[in-house]
Amino acid sequence: MEKKHEYQVTDYAGKLAKTFLRNPLTSVLGVFLLIMGYLSLSIMPREEDPQIAISGGGVVVAMPGATPREIENIIINPLERKLREVKGIEHIYGQAFNNYGTVSVMYYIGENREDANLKLYDKVMQNMDKMPKGVMQPLVKPFDIDIDIPILTFAFYAKDKKVDDVKLFKIVRKLQQKINAVKNVAKTTVKGARKEQYNIEVDMGKLSAYHLSLGQIMKAVQSVAVDVPDVKGRTKKNELVIFGVKNAIESVEDVKSVIVAQYMGSPIYLRDVAKVTDGMDIQNFKTAKLRFKEDEHAKSLGQERSQVTLTVSKLAGTNAVFVAEDVLEVLKEHQDELTKEGIGYIITRNYGERANEAVNELMEHLVITIIIIALMLVFALGWRESIIVTFTVPAILAVTLFVAYLSGQTINRITLFAFLLSLGLLVDAAIIVIENIHRHLHAHDVDQKEMDELLIEATDEIGAPTNVATLAIILTMVPMAFVGGMMGSFMKPIPLNVPVALIASLFVAYIFTPYLSLKLLKKPTHKHHHKKGGK
Amino acid sequence: MKGLQKFIYTILGSKKKKRMVIILTAVAFFATLMMFPTKMVLAKMLPGKSDNTFSIYVDTPTGSSIEQTKKVSECVLDMLQNEKNIVNMELFEGQGIPLDYAGLVKGSAMKHTENVAEIAVNLTDKHARKEPSFLMVQRLRPVVKKKCEPLVKGSTIKFVEQPAGPPTLASIVVEVHGENIDKIRKLSKEVAAILTKTDGLVDVDVMADDIYDKYELVPDKEKIARSGLSVEQVNNILYLAFEGMEIAHKNSKDNPDQIPMFLILSKESKSLESHSEDALVSKISSLNLMNQKGMLVPLSEVVHIRKVKSSPSIMHKDLERMINVVAETDMVSQVYPLLDAREKMIEYFSKDYNVTKEPGMSTYMFDLHLTDKKTGEKFLLRWDGEMKVTLDTFRDLGGAFIAALVLIFLLLVVYYKSFVLSGIILLGSFLSIIGVILGHWVANWFTSETFFLTATSLIGFIALMGISSRNSLLLIDFAKSLMECRGMEKREAIAVATATRAKPIALTAVAIILGSALLASDPVFGGLGVALISGTVAAVFVSLLFVPVLMHNAKAMDFEPADHCDVKNISITK
Repeated sequence: MEKKHEYQVTDYAGKLAKTFLRNPLTSVLGVFLLIMGYLSLSIMPREEDPQIAISGGGVVVAMPGATPREIENIIINPLERKLREVKGIEHIYGQAFNNYGTVSVMYYIGENREDANLKLYDKVMQNMDKMPKGVMQPLVKPFDIDIDIPILTFAFYAKDKKVDDVKLFKIVRKLQQKINAVKNVAKTTVKGARKEQYNIEVDMGKLSAYHLSLGQIMKAVQSVAVDVPDVKGRTKKNELVIFGVKNAIESVEDVKSVIVAQYMGSPIYLRDVAKVTDGMDIQNFKTAKLRFKEDEHAKSLGQERSQVTLTVSKLAGTNAVFVAEDVLEVLKEHQDELTKEGIGYIITRNYGERANEAVNELMEHLVITIIIIALMLVFALGWRESIIVTFTVPAILAVTLFVAYLSGQTINRITLFAFLLSLGLLVDAAIIVIENIHRHLHAHDVDQKEMDELLIEATDEIGAPTNVATLAIILTMVPMAFVGGMMGSFMKPIPLNVPVALIASLFVAYIFTPYLSLKLLKKPTHKHHHKKGGK
Repeated sequence: MKGLQKFIYTILGSKKKKRMVIILTAVAFFATLMMFPTKMVLAKMLPGKSDNTFSIYVDTPTGSSIEQTKKVSECVLDMLQNEKNIVNMELFEGQGIPLDYAGLVKGSAMKHTENVAEIAVNLTDKHARKEPSFLMVQRLRPVVKKKCEPLVKGSTIKFVEQPAGPPTLASIVVEVHGENIDKIRKLSKEVAAILTKTDGLVDVDVMADDIYDKYELVPDKEKIARSGLSVEQVNNILYLAFEGMEIAHKNSKDNPDQIPMFLILSKESKSLESHSEDALVSKISSLNLMNQKGMLVPLSEVVHIRKVKSSPSIMHKDLERMINVVAETDMVSQVYPLLDAREKMIEYFSKDYNVTKEPGMSTYMFDLHLTDKKTGEKFLLRWDGEMKVTLDTFRDLGGAFIAALVLIFLLLVVYYKSFVLSGIILLGSFLSIIGVILGHWVANWFTSETFFLTATSLIGFIALMGISSRNSLLLIDFAKSLMECRGMEKREAIAVATATRAKPIALTAVAIILGSALLASDPVFGGLGVALISGTVAAVFVSLLFVPVLMHNAKAMDFEPADHCDVKNISITK
């Protein structure tokens, strides 16, 4: 229908509105965005706190018999000087102990971890020729937070009195193998384990009575405890005949009957001078204990038990929630086996569950907030308008989530806080557009215009100031990306996601608000019912 | 809306009323700024968060046995045995608990001596329990420390909470730098004493080895050579006898690991009568070595014993010798105890040292330089830990904030081609700080714990800048169109624009307030929520009252009716 003069679109806002207003693909686009967002939400790795790229490493150099002062002069000082040559190191910490020294380096936050590790290793290896004499090969150990911090820990304990610490460990070790095979599990360790060991405790009194020295006993045991590979012989017809010496020591009884010396013509067995037992590692003082509430209503914790803790960590960038679920699944499969052996376990750490809880709790907050805003808009603008604005929120969040997923981010507390923070901001664009449409619909010249034209005009009109204002908010967020240090890294999801959400909010507001208005809003029929203000 | 239009119109009409608005705003601005020095609003990097777990580190003095350490840690466990919110506790002796974020920077993974133990305490779910973990720690800490620390003299027990943000070594770390090891040991003890006396600081510890008595077996080389032995043999046998060695291994198909054969003296034969030189001599006299001729030589024949002090390990940071003194804060911000302790230190050290403060402004601005009055040796007391991270973060966020201001200003200048208008918008948005600070003061009233101004509050404030500049922007834009296209008079145009724009401004403000309402209840991001809520309220007032006044005063707002603009492009209602 020809009117006196068609509205001239001046801003991108109007152009977008015009392009998409009658396009059948607009609704497809909307559905596509929502699906993309939902998919990203469900497959993105979840974690409680964002990953902070801490890189660093330690160099351990041993020099038996040296005092801390000597270590400081011979090892720490030269090593520290050399490590100063590496770029990107923030602090160098040196520590000189008796017999060994360590130098650890902390890189600036955000330094690439692989590069950092390589640089450190490189620098140490380049200077191997300058190593002082009598010093053992240095060990270079990079820190790896993903692998070093377990996401799951289990404490295994004996329910049955018959199960001793060694047996407990053996069973946990078997389980460790199974759990390590789970997808995306990186490192598993066993803490507080007591290992089987043949203890030879020598009685000093008997030693001198038989006129023996400790060295003799050591040699005697070592001489029988040898493993030799099988040897190959050949027959005359060139067939192989394989034969080998059986290990002399098969059990603790064999150790007991090692002959350590001859005394006055009769042999002296090891059992004569020492107590030989099949026990556990007595020299290991690193033990672990556990107390827990034996049943739910117990007032206090149960008695102390010794335990073995199995820790499980995940590969970097994988979903803690899934890994934890998979591991628990494996453990459940072995539940019967464990019960049969008289072993119980409790979960003492589950970061997967914690991450999931934190994420779900915030998601809930997000939904509640959206509902509250929608309710507010019902009162302020009317329910149709409210529905339109409310639709834009998931669309914007979906776009932001999708972009976050593509850029390799994870869903964590801070990402969701970024969403919560931007929630108040991102309905703005839609509110401003819908408010202007609302205003135009109730303006006195409303019946002179076509609905299409009116919508485009209303969108276009506020385009320029809204663009500039949104740009202003984006600009405030950008410098935050350059905040350094741990805190900067920790907060990074905010400057990364808020601008994306804001840009998305502009597009969604310009594309979908007029489109949905066309479907949902009608020109008021009671046009001249009340006199409009202004001029 | 008519009312607001009339209200603005009247204000703009009288010079006196306009001045009133400006003065009131200025008063409000300076009054809120004064809340910092008067400590009505306290600053902290991040507040504590309630968690489902915390850990306890037990350190007995260097050289203590695992049994002594066990005694202290068992005492701690027994004290917590009947806590109703504890689900389980794990004790790890001689090692750290499975690594967590707190342990990562506190060196938990490096623990492998007999004098350390760590306890992991798991609590009931935080939603199902009234007492937050940080209050629980605050309650238990003094009781447990009082009962268990005296069991082994010199032990320290530390309660470690999971950090709300990035982990640091401790809330307060004082690095004592200096060349003279004995002097820095002494200084660090004095620093620790001062920190202990400061209110609000707990778990003070000097991170250095304690010196204890030990015995040195000095090999008599001549005697060793003459009896057909070697020094190496002496060392080996001694180690074998008392520490034991894995002398051989057995592989087994039924066993997950190799079975070592471990040779050592039996417990009865290696235990000493007492901690004395005589007991040691009598013990090693019965330990025999065999020489090349097959003769037995008692160990005591070839060595003599000397009592010495142990040599403590030496710490370096950035190539300088130093000792760390650490302290945790007890539910307070670390800023105020730090300033307190620093005052005391200046006073205390002034007796023997010339104390000078770090010159210039940097994040090391609290550092103290000490020069010994007698020897002229120089020492440095450097504040590190969470305080340093806080200062760095606030500095960086401050920088980000200024950068944001400049960027917005440039953007506006490009858009309006006027410095004055851009300045008005910027000033208007900066004033939302009134609301931010006031909001924290009010929030402090409603919370049982102190509500700190945190790094997240600053982030909220930065975000607010953008939001409130949007308000002013829409206002100016609208007034400009009115004047250009409708030929309205300036005063009326501003009043109409304010009244028309009030609704979307209020709507978006309410959206932000509601959006942040749930944020405000979070312990970590509460600051952000409160900053957004109260800042937005302030921003609304500023943009509806203060900005119109400035606009009216600005010459740059005098727009002439333009021909190019399409009258249809602007429609005013209500």
